[in-house]
Amino acid sequence: MFLFFTLPEFWRTLLTSIIGLLTLVGIMTRPFRWSESRIAMTGAAVLLGLGLIRPADAVRTLLRDWNTFLFFLGMMGLSAMAESAGLFEWLAVQAARLARNNAERLFLNVFLLGTAISMIFSNDATALILTPVVYVLVTRLRLPVLPYMFACTFIADTASFLLPISNPINIIVMSRYPLRLSSFLRLLFVPSLVVIAINVGIFYLLYRSQLKGRFEIKRLPTLEKAIKHKRFFRYTLWVLGVVAPSYIVASAFQFPLSIVAVAGALALLVGALFWKQTTIAEAGKGISWPIFGFIAGMFVVVRAIEDTGLTTKFGRLLMHLSGGTSFGAVMVGTFGSALGTNLINNVPMAVVMNASLGSVQHAAPAIRDGFVAATMFGCDLGPNLTTVGSLATILWLLILRERDVDVSGLDYFKVGVLATPVMLFAGALTIWLLL
Amino acid sequence: MRILGCLDGTNAEQIGYAVQMFTTAEPPTVAFLAVINSGPRHDIERMRERFWRPPMLHHPVAEQMNAAEAEAAEDILKAGLEYVKGAESLVRQGRPELEIVNTAAEWKADVIVICSLSKYGEPPHIGPHSVGHVARFVLDHAPCPVLMVRPLAREQFSIDR
Repeated sequence: MFLFFTLPEFWRTLLTSIIGLLTLVGIMTRPFRWSESRIAMTGAAVLLGLGLIRPADAVRTLLRDWNTFLFFLGMMGLSAMAESAGLFEWLAVQAARLARNNAERLFLNVFLLGTAISMIFSNDATALILTPVVYVLVTRLRLPVLPYMFACTFIADTASFLLPISNPINIIVMSRYPLRLSSFLRLLFVPSLVVIAINVGIFYLLYRSQLKGRFEIKRLPTLEKAIKHKRFFRYTLWVLGVVAPSYIVASAFQFPLSIVAVAGALALLVGALFWKQTTIAEAGKGISWPIFGFIAGMFVVVRAIEDTGLTTKFGRLLMHLSGGTSFGAVMVGTFGSALGTNLINNVPMAVVMNASLGSVQHAAPAIRDGFVAATMFGCDLGPNLTTVGSLATILWLLILRERDVDVSGLDYFKVGVLATPVMLFAGALTIWLLL
Repeated sequence: MRILGCLDGTNAEQIGYAVQMFTTAEPPTVAFLAVINSGPRHDIERMRERFWRPPMLHHPVAEQMNAAEAEAAEDILKAGLEYVKGAESLVRQGRPELEIVNTAAEWKADVIVICSLSKYGEPPHIGPHSVGHVARFVLDHAPCPVLMVRPLAREQFSIDR
């Protein structure tokens, strides 16, 4: 429509801002029960239709971020294939055996296992695959379910900035603002250890009375039973044994991590097909396809907003709020991103922050790196505040509670509100000290 | 058994009826209820939503979860039946507090017997927070008298008068 005549700059900016804002509000509130993916893609389609972003620019934006799309694909593929080999179940049974009938020790082992899985497979695998496996495990062991489930869901995000591949958000941010592996580890690995320790400590305090008991290991299947096909299982271990160090080497040489993830997933898929452990259709079900539409829609919408100069202004505002100090940069970056992730989900927030951080690129290195590290930290850890969704979900749950409907999601919120601000502050402080 | 009935001038009929239930010679009809808590499953589904995943209805792990829950419920009821042979077994799925009061109404229970808090090996605790949210909800919403079973802790008394 507007492609055929020129719209004054003011109206272009106003229209783009309104559509961008409506898209973000739509993601928060999901009207008509539309999925986030549909809302993001509708926002992008409207912008394209009105000529507020040129198709060539939209395509260029999507092509520029190929690494992010491929990483999501590889990451989900790797987790799905490892799950089909029975790896997560085997690891959970192993964790229970090593706990030697002690519920407290099993609790710690769940944290350690979640940390390891988040580190290698990303937070997605811990939250979505390990959590149900642990649920089955503790139900069989007749232990209280909630502390162990909370441990899984929280550690998924708490341990998601140990390595660049531990959370796709890190890939989104680092695609635009690459950090050397040594800088990433310096700025985020140590803070990650600090917040993991705080997470474990707070949870021990909260659930200590429920972790006094013992369990009978004989209630669990043997380790062999967890393995669905011995050869495929061994092959999976072998492939992962190659993929994990490859991630580190690729990060060190700034080689695209998505290629490692996709290659690993393909290798596992070939093995699964060879040993008839999956079919192409079944493997496809392990991938969340709508996420690609969601990310693509968000990239286009934010690119259109970026063209209006609004994200630059937002970046300047962040810079102003930081007071031009590295401490301010880390605190504003962390708490701003964390708040944003709970309003509009962490992927859109990371994309918005990415577009805005262009304004801080000319600042002193400590401020620039502080903002980049804090953005990843805030977007990765922030979701723990509401865990089961955004603030909009929580507000809805609170309304239900008012109506005397008991809702379990609020249990998460109570724990999140208690633990997350402490972890955010301690982690941000550590990042600042390490700058 | 020594029963202490607490009267306040308005409740003689209620207390008297409840005490009669324990003193009557007629053998009671007992049912044990095990509730599979659906809360954690809902949380897992919400988590899937956050990561843009479809519900795990036909996922293999969902079947494992069902099997583990059914097995746990069966075990829990078996433990109860060791104390009262021939009692009826009831399994429900949902929020425990809601299922308890609804089942009590449907089954036409004359009395609900419930513990104040799940016990996981810690010593008995008397005082604030010693009644869990399920027991509190049942006390508030039960369609019949409730006998709340607390751990014996006479040695922690007396409380300052």
